[in-house]
Amino acid sequence: MKDRSMQKRLQRIAALVLKETTQLLRDRRTLMMVFGLPLIELFLFGYAVSLTVYHIPTAIVDQNKSPESRDFIRALVNSQYFDVTETLQNQDQIVQEMDAGRVKAAILIPPDFSTRLETENANVLVLLDGSDSFSVKSGYTAASIVTQNYSIQLTVEKIERAGAAAGPLQQAAVMPITSSIQVLYNPDLRDLWFILPAIIGMILQSIAVVLAAMAVVREREVGTLEQILATPTRPIELIVGKMIPLLVLCLIIIGVTLGLGVFWFGVPFKGSLWLYLWLSLLFIVSSLGLGLLVSTIARNQRQAHQITQMLMIFSMLLTGLVYPRGAMPAVPQFIGDLIPLTYFIRISRGIVTKGVGLTFFWGDALALLIYGLVVMITASFSFKNRLD
Amino acid sequence: MLKRIGAITQKEFILLVRDRGTLVLVLLIPLIQLVLFAYAIHMDVKHIPMVVADQSLDTASRSYLDDLVHSDYFDIVSTVQDQAQVVDVIDAGQARVGVVIPPDFSADVEQGDAKVLLLVDGSDPFTTQSAYNALSAIAQQHAIQLVLDRIGISSGSGAAQSLSPLTAHIRTFYNPDLQDIWFLVPGLIAMLLQTQTITLTALAVVREREVGTIEQILVTPIRPIELMLGKTIPNLLIAVINMLTIVVVGTIGFGVPFRGNFLLYFFLTVIYIFSGLGLGLLISSFSQNQRQAQQLTSMITFIGQVIGGFVFPRYAMPVILQWIGDLFPLTFFIPISRGIFMKGIGMEFLTGQVIALSFYVVVIVFLAARLFRQRLD
Repeated sequence: MKDRSMQKRLQRIAALVLKETTQLLRDRRTLMMVFGLPLIELFLFGYAVSLTVYHIPTAIVDQNKSPESRDFIRALVNSQYFDVTETLQNQDQIVQEMDAGRVKAAILIPPDFSTRLETENANVLVLLDGSDSFSVKSGYTAASIVTQNYSIQLTVEKIERAGAAAGPLQQAAVMPITSSIQVLYNPDLRDLWFILPAIIGMILQSIAVVLAAMAVVREREVGTLEQILATPTRPIELIVGKMIPLLVLCLIIIGVTLGLGVFWFGVPFKGSLWLYLWLSLLFIVSSLGLGLLVSTIARNQRQAHQITQMLMIFSMLLTGLVYPRGAMPAVPQFIGDLIPLTYFIRISRGIVTKGVGLTFFWGDALALLIYGLVVMITASFSFKNRLD
Repeated sequence: MLKRIGAITQKEFILLVRDRGTLVLVLLIPLIQLVLFAYAIHMDVKHIPMVVADQSLDTASRSYLDDLVHSDYFDIVSTVQDQAQVVDVIDAGQARVGVVIPPDFSADVEQGDAKVLLLVDGSDPFTTQSAYNALSAIAQQHAIQLVLDRIGISSGSGAAQSLSPLTAHIRTFYNPDLQDIWFLVPGLIAMLLQTQTITLTALAVVREREVGTIEQILVTPIRPIELMLGKTIPNLLIAVINMLTIVVVGTIGFGVPFRGNFLLYFFLTVIYIFSGLGLGLLISSFSQNQRQAQQLTSMITFIGQVIGGFVFPRYAMPVILQWIGDLFPLTFFIPISRGIFMKGIGMEFLTGQVIALSFYVVVIVFLAARLFRQRLD
């Protein structure tokens, strides 16, 4: 008896899965975009966008025109950060060009540059366009590093000259410490290596939340939800039936993005693929649950859209996707803790980039598990309440 | 005709006001973004957690570590024995940076061949960059200082006076203290207006089509063009309110200076809003249901965000992408918004952008109107 009711129940769920899958497959455009978006994101980040800005259009005002000043300009250009696009006469012209947006940086070398370089302390003026944060930050770091290196090189030369005069004992003292910096996991600082593990999470979460929310809200708005509930189908079966096709869709998306990232863009996958898939599954379930929760709050698709959009903003800013969470105050950190992506990003970076195992992030995995359970149960209850 | 447009506008307003949830969200989103950026986001990373394996524990190693900690960039969170343990701590994510100082450091420094290994966690772009730059600068300075100290002492010469013969004075126009919120506000206005206008317009039309009420409206004397105008006017108003919210909260609440002419800014923003409304209508003609409309708008706004110059500067992109970027109105409005807001410049510098934007608006509204009518007939 119990067996038969169970069998009936499975049959009903299977029927729902079939209906949802058919609907999903028939909506070609949505499907195309669901797959298109991850591809576009990967290609944009793979080819187009760089987190460090090179070749900043730069104006030069060289009032010294000496071999030293030219040498210094060469050092700046060789750093790849600055492209000299204009040569100007004075500071007023720089302001003019920057106002017009033709240059983003300018370097002014005063007339006494070469003489002061020999005797005391020479100055150069670096001007940056502060309306564009990325250019400013790259320009700022590059300018200070290049001048520092140049300065150090001069000092070393000076010391060597002094050392040679003072005898071999002093010469040995040049640069007593060598500090070698080694970047773990991503030695060449490739942008896509940074981005891929995080962006997979972001893509999955946005697709799962949006589709889960829309799937339910849409039926409610069009009025077909009542029709389904007039059949023997119980709410919990409805949820399961609606979620299974989306779960499969998300798994396919993981496969596609990961495959593309690893095989096309050559991002190394260092950890265990099995572990990654299991934890991804957990993450997808959490995100689908979050989508269901949104659907019980939203009255129509427009509201659902606005809520999911808000969620996306929080996810972009507070989960560690772009901005490091360590630098955030407590409240934004706490809001970030309420989003499953926060946990998954650490897991994803751990497995893909670092190649570490469960022992290093069991806390995040556990958090994700608890999160998934809580959100699914809450969503099911409030879903039932809204229907009854 | 005006009466009919008025009637549609009124209907849309009533729908909007009755849909409290959407209205509240639409008006709140700009505020939330602004507050988050102002309080939560810091691009310059300081106090990076650091793990140390100091195998010497002598004066030289301590002075090296002191320089790192005093820079404010690094906080020592744990002390371990050797390199393997340092990597373990970084693997676990407890520290982002590791320092390994080998035994006999002081003696090696005396002889001039001391070596330090600095390890940086390369899994998080912003922290990695900051940490890398800070580490190399501090380490170099420390070494130079040692040399100069020694020469100053042993030879008594004046060589130590010029620790650095060259100093760069870096000055940032328009945003001298590099405040993130100053960077953000003008770009945020551009991005948010685009997202909101496209989404709201597209969904408003598609919804009516999906639920089937659009046919009912069209059997009345209302003409498609009137329907279109009536549907977009409320969204225009919302967009203007959004813009004013960000400008007011940004300037008064967070002290971001508005340097240009506000009337000019207002006028150009309205032109820009029309481009979003047009794009929204265009999307509505291409979508069969709200789900598609939503996916299309998120795709367009995402691409616009990445290649339109909101975050990443356009000159650093391949030429093809710059062309694709020209298809998004955001691309033209961001220089306008930053120009007027931050730089305080006027039309004399912006003519090209304004012409491009106006041209874009005319084309897109024309296209949208044609397709809108076609789909209805």
